[in-house]
Amino acid sequence: MNITIASFAAFMLIVVLGYRLLSARFRNIWLFVACLGFLITWSWEFVGILLVLGTVNYILGGWIGEAKEGRKRILWIGIAFDVFTLLIFKYSDFYIPELTAFLARIGMEKGSGGIQLLMPIGLSFTTVQLISYLADIHNRIVLPEKRWLKFILYALYFPKLLSGPIERARVFLPKLDQPQPLSAESIARNFTLIVIGLTRKLLIADVLNALIPSAAFVQPLTYSAQMLLTWLLAYAFVIYNDFAGYTSIARGVSGFLGIELSSNFNTPYFSRSIAEFWERWHISLSNWLRDYIFFPLSRLLRKKFPRPDHIINFILPPLVTMLVSGMWHGLSFSLLLWGGLHGAYLIVERIPTLWAPKVLMDERPKWQQAVAALITFSLAVLAWLPFRMDLITAKRYFAGIIIPSHWFKPDFLWMSEVFKGHLPVSDVYGWNIPDPRIFLVLVPAILLDWAQYRHKDELIFLKWPRWVQAALLALVTLGLFLASFADSAAPFVYQGF
Amino acid sequence: MAIVKLSNRDAIEPSAKKHPIGFGYTLLQAFAFLVLFIALLEGIARTRFIGNLLPYQSFGSWHYQLDLKWFRLKQYVANNGGVDVLILGNSLVNTGFDPDVITQTYYEKTGLRLRVFNFGVDGLTIAPNSVNAKILIEEYHPALLVLVTEMRDYDATNGIRTEEKFLSDTWMQYQLGYFNPRGWIIAHSVALQHFLPYRNWMRADFPNTFAANLQTYHTTFLTGYEPDNGVMKEVVAPDPNNLAGNPYFDSTQPYQVDPSRLECLRAILDLARENGSQIVVVEMPVHPVFFEYAGGETVHKAFQEKIAETVQAGGGIFLPAIDEVTIPLQGRSNLTHLNWRGAPILSAYLGEQLAALTNQDGMIFVNKQNGDSQP
Repeated sequence: MNITIASFAAFMLIVVLGYRLLSARFRNIWLFVACLGFLITWSWEFVGILLVLGTVNYILGGWIGEAKEGRKRILWIGIAFDVFTLLIFKYSDFYIPELTAFLARIGMEKGSGGIQLLMPIGLSFTTVQLISYLADIHNRIVLPEKRWLKFILYALYFPKLLSGPIERARVFLPKLDQPQPLSAESIARNFTLIVIGLTRKLLIADVLNALIPSAAFVQPLTYSAQMLLTWLLAYAFVIYNDFAGYTSIARGVSGFLGIELSSNFNTPYFSRSIAEFWERWHISLSNWLRDYIFFPLSRLLRKKFPRPDHIINFILPPLVTMLVSGMWHGLSFSLLLWGGLHGAYLIVERIPTLWAPKVLMDERPKWQQAVAALITFSLAVLAWLPFRMDLITAKRYFAGIIIPSHWFKPDFLWMSEVFKGHLPVSDVYGWNIPDPRIFLVLVPAILLDWAQYRHKDELIFLKWPRWVQAALLALVTLGLFLASFADSAAPFVYQGF
Repeated sequence: MAIVKLSNRDAIEPSAKKHPIGFGYTLLQAFAFLVLFIALLEGIARTRFIGNLLPYQSFGSWHYQLDLKWFRLKQYVANNGGVDVLILGNSLVNTGFDPDVITQTYYEKTGLRLRVFNFGVDGLTIAPNSVNAKILIEEYHPALLVLVTEMRDYDATNGIRTEEKFLSDTWMQYQLGYFNPRGWIIAHSVALQHFLPYRNWMRADFPNTFAANLQTYHTTFLTGYEPDNGVMKEVVAPDPNNLAGNPYFDSTQPYQVDPSRLECLRAILDLARENGSQIVVVEMPVHPVFFEYAGGETVHKAFQEKIAETVQAGGGIFLPAIDEVTIPLQGRSNLTHLNWRGAPILSAYLGEQLAALTNQDGMIFVNKQNGDSQP
């Protein structure tokens, strides 16, 4: 069940009503049933896999908490189990062809379909949450959860199951016992989050995504540089609004249950450095990577190389962290390059601190901040190339943008002849004019972020005059209604991770 | 670009402002705005200005031409006070019958002027057309329904996907009496009907498809006829060594008339009879080589007999295909479709046949129910 469809709204209504009407002791059971119901709409096999994964971590967490000795060994067994599960399901594309061939050689595989594994939804998100749980118990940050049901809800909680946010057990578990009561303010807040999320997903991300021809990311060199650049810009806003839209809906939905989820995005494209970008982009993953990869690795290296400016201390932690981030998204060279690029950006950004004290961005002149924001945005957008396509195509796409001969002059004459009816429309891309429809969507998308960024408040709209809120809500509703007549709908991009 | 001072650690905080009157009031206001916007849009959409400005309307059908024919017929009926003869069928009908020629021929022979509309839609076999017929007869009460058919209409493997899509359309479902909110809104909102041709505006290929649709819109006559400019250059007979290359029929099976498709024909005949419309079933005069793809002339004859028997049993009149010599090769755009040279020949033939039915058998095709068509 996709969270943008009407049946999910009906499902949520039942879940929220049941949750609010039941007494406290039955609420978690009700939530568990809802989680199972949600999962089963995807596949009943997912229920089994995620329940086993959660239960094993629950047991291991208990053992780490109780063990006097060998705590680290149990932790590593748990991490190995979680990573192995992820490898089995998520990276099956790598080993299944070889495994099928091997089984065929020894006469065990005779079916024509070969071996097929379904990647359970949200497995990547669930796995990192479970690893953080085990690590936090080991580091005595959190006590092991005694109640299985409550722990399983941490793993399977449906609003965050598909694409996060990645919650920490120490923050999330107490909320299950003390859900916030519904008030006029919380209703307004959660409703607005859902409306913002739907706007981002259905009116911005899906629309921009449909405006990019699929061939652009397959045969980029057949298009002019100005078009490739426009589509790359559009893609940057697709992935951001798609993911941020999901998070916003998930937070709003969860808010109606009284369980607040973490914010995952904070107007990232206004960042003035790559470090700041990662404080604003997929915040829950960034924090996880910082706490469980960057810091432990930095501490480990500092033991061997005590000087903070030692080249190993300088390069390895950010690079390894971002490479892990790339691998978490998928095991491919292009995603490794995406992670590697961000790692390299972070390293280069830190170089000036080797000889001069760091000047906070807020203390710099505004023009410097603006230039820094523009450079950061350009670098982040450029890095989406290997994120979206394989290495060879990404290289071609990049070449298509930078090779001067690909900057063709717009063919206004051809276009005007077509509009006069003198020529048939054979290919609008032959006009070499960036698609104006993209800018039509980009402008409100940027304005939405700008309003949130300028006021440092994602729900700034609730402070606007009531009639403006109402008019905007009516316009969004009308927009969503009209958008529902389009012939195609796209799933959430991060659902694939 | 002005950059406002913002610490990296400044997480966006939710608004803390209190709402003493409550959010419910905002929702009520939003609803009022929504009603206002819709009323405004609907009012503007119904003005003559918008009607002239926007080229065509749509019911949101997946089949552009189906939309086009529905609105053209609506416009035709509004301009002429009704319709006497509806010609129903697939693309062969769309490009094969010119209502103006039929009207003229019939007038010359009888002195009566018919109002004829061509409702041929690409890819629609007898199965979806049986649904079309129901809606058309019940809404427009034509005096005569001319159902043009050919062998592929009764091939069980032909047009299944088209049929599924046709029947699952929300507006079509609503027209068939299965209430659904979307179908209701589409049927009643002129603003939405004006918007629907642009509903895929965000698709990368929209400018191309829209231009192509617009071209079809402009080349289709107000009578629903769309001339085909293609000319058949050579006749390609089927290759017995390449059965898989048969472009017309499922080559794995010999041709046979599918009973369920025949049932659709019976349904149309029953429907016409029940609603007081007369019905003439015309076999499309495809090129004789076409029959070789289906298994030869014997198979074709068997098909003709089956259809004739069914039509007669249902109280209709069956007109088998005219002699192939009547339509020259230059009058065809391929083995099945007629072009702008062939269509007038076939249309005149139909006009003559209808005139003969009037003159000899006393059958009247002028519709008295929805306005007199006499000049």
